Amino acid sequence: MRRLTKIAAASAVLSLALTACANDSDTAAEDDLCGGGGDGPNVGLAYDVGGRGDQSFNDAAARGMEQAKEELGATCTEAQAQDGEPESAREDRLRTLAEDGHDPIIGTGFAYSLAVDAVAPDFPDTSFGVVDGFDPTGDEANDNVAYLGFAENEGSFLVGVAAALKTQTDHVGFVGGVHNDLIKKFEAGYTAGVEAVNPDITVDVTYIEEEDLSGFADPAGGKAAAAAMYENGADIVYHASGGSGSGVFDAAVEAGDDMWAIGVDSDQYLTASDDQKEHILTSMLKRVDTATFNEIKSVADDKPLSSYQSYDLAADGVGYSTSGGYIDDIKDQIDEWAEKIKSGEVEVPSTVK
Amino acid sequence: MSQTATSTGTPGAAPQEPRAARFSYFWLLLALGAIVTVSAVRLITGQDQLDSSGSLRAAILATCPILMAAIGGMWSERAGVVNIGLEGQMILGTWGAAYFTYYYGPWVGILGAALMGAVGGALHALATVTFGVDHIVSGVAVNIIGLGAAAFLAEAYFTGLPGGGPRQLSGLDRPLSITVPGLADGAESLSDKGWFFVSDVASLVSALSTNLSILTVLVFALVGVSGWVLWRTSFGLRLRSCGENPQASESLGVNVILYKWIAVVVSGALAGVGGGFLALVASSGFVTGQTGGRGYIGLAAMIFGNWRPGGILAGSLMFGYTDSLPLRSADTIHALLLLVAIGLFALAIWRFTRKQTRQAIVFGVIGLLFLVWFLTTDQVPREFTGMTPYIATLLVLAFSAQRLRMPKADGQVYRKGSAG
Repeated sequence: MRRLTKIAAASAVLSLALTACANDSDTAAEDDLCGGGGDGPNVGLAYDVGGRGDQSFNDAAARGMEQAKEELGATCTEAQAQDGEPESAREDRLRTLAEDGHDPIIGTGFAYSLAVDAVAPDFPDTSFGVVDGFDPTGDEANDNVAYLGFAENEGSFLVGVAAALKTQTDHVGFVGGVHNDLIKKFEAGYTAGVEAVNPDITVDVTYIEEEDLSGFADPAGGKAAAAAMYENGADIVYHASGGSGSGVFDAAVEAGDDMWAIGVDSDQYLTASDDQKEHILTSMLKRVDTATFNEIKSVADDKPLSSYQSYDLAADGVGYSTSGGYIDDIKDQIDEWAEKIKSGEVEVPSTVK
Repeated sequence: MSQTATSTGTPGAAPQEPRAARFSYFWLLLALGAIVTVSAVRLITGQDQLDSSGSLRAAILATCPILMAAIGGMWSERAGVVNIGLEGQMILGTWGAAYFTYYYGPWVGILGAALMGAVGGALHALATVTFGVDHIVSGVAVNIIGLGAAAFLAEAYFTGLPGGGPRQLSGLDRPLSITVPGLADGAESLSDKGWFFVSDVASLVSALSTNLSILTVLVFALVGVSGWVLWRTSFGLRLRSCGENPQASESLGVNVILYKWIAVVVSGALAGVGGGFLALVASSGFVTGQTGGRGYIGLAAMIFGNWRPGGILAGSLMFGYTDSLPLRSADTIHALLLLVAIGLFALAIWRFTRKQTRQAIVFGVIGLLFLVWFLTTDQVPREFTGMTPYIATLLVLAFSAQRLRMPKADGQVYRKGSAG
């Protein structure tokens, strides 16, 4: 019995120690980003699943926050989301941030749309921003909510143009993480971009999951989907699948030379491993940092944004990357198309035909 | 699945025994029949992706993590401990594989995955075997701890590494994979011909001889080894006796607590290897949450397989196949309907010959429904394709539930000395 007590005590101590470590690291992360600001807006930054360090849009939001700290003296509190959490957890998170007096409160990711819609009416003096957000009710818009949308279709159009100009086999692919309206927008733009250059090119489309958000964290699924495309003759695959994208890059590496993948959201060439870098043609950029910064700035200027804000190509909200130099030879052509989109000469569809 | 101690996954089944011989003959015929059926469906529907070498390769990759979790579950439950902590142990395995591969290479990485999984298993064993905690409660706790610990460890160790971040580590070295020269190309070109039967066998050969990871071989070897250890050694007999009647075992001098500990730790280690497979072979990187419920699917595969290696292998292959197929080509799911219908008809006929008329009629009617569905539609709605593995689970479990028998003392808390 004494031995049992000892073991129990030891495991209790161990678990306490682990908890303490976890707490330490949380505060450390917050100190990095949020501490040391001035008397600017006190921002509540609620991350989506993935959180800080996803090398994608949560990190981009953090960069926007950092810019706001430097330029506007903003301070902030970060809040992380859990995988598979219920809707009420997001609401509670926003409510806590609002009750603590944060303004603005920014939710990164469309998953916050419903929660913001529920919480915002209770805090009419607080501004809310939802990256990729939409008004779920569609009828009574909340004046204090800004939906920070991006013209992903326009950015995807440009990488579609790049793919169409670079493909040797006249066959390209698209891997989406989850089959929802947001990701379909990527597909629509990409397909349109490919078709604009050469309507004879085949575009394979696969979504990893229909509904389940786990499709954004399934590299094995991303690899299986992309590998099928490379085997069937595609030589360039664009992914809009978050963390599953590393599997798509793996598939490109395994498929061999002259097989390419296109990254998404941020310049993925910069964060990829060395052997993946040789296969990342370009990345579609989504400037979540710009949107986050603008939202904070609008509150600092006392002119808080509201309703739909579109960060399109003209507003520098989307774009493409050139790291690696693989598309330097066709950059002029891509930019020509970009100009046509900006001038309205070319209209990029946002829904799949 | 078989009623005797012999099953396909168990090497060392003595061929001179008439019973064993009859069964391997039976399985051989079944396999041939399956290939012929698939081949016929492929030709009728024109869906070459149904069993192209690429599809089979993807299916094998999707099978291995599920298979390891299921075999891990078998070890634990054969010793009488329900291990629903497989998911958590798998998650720990993904982290272990990533960490040890990054610093010491893929082979140490596999050991690291097994080690981390074993730690999760040890935690479960400590709670359930030593302290007598309810197995389900402890298993849920292990899942939550595994998820949290992996997230914490990733943030602590992967931040700032090249290709790494607080939630991921990509571009890991892969374990060696082999391509059999000559055979691989020959089989591949033969499978592209689209001939009846020949091309389907060639696809299988090509899938197994092209870019086959050593780790895949290891996974299948572990299935055989597990079957051999549990059913062909006195160690295995004692271990299984702990799951059937621990009181009797103890009265015969078996150290029940020790055997249960060994079983649960091995169980965790195998689940960890499954996680390691996900992080090293199925894709080459760690992402938090990448197991995506495969541990639970493994649990279902174990029950489907009647707590036996042969059945578990079949169940895991089914899950792996239906999981990976929609990713290759969504249209192929439509062809699966015909395959399911044929399978159900076969079951109906088999039941009919055994004079189980009512069951035969049920199978026949459901098979007919699938056939009608196949004939009246051109494609399966997208929303259904993601459900394929789960519908298959439900169907199969519903049909085979009567024949399942779990270890008698499975899930019961055993206290030392309770033999009285």
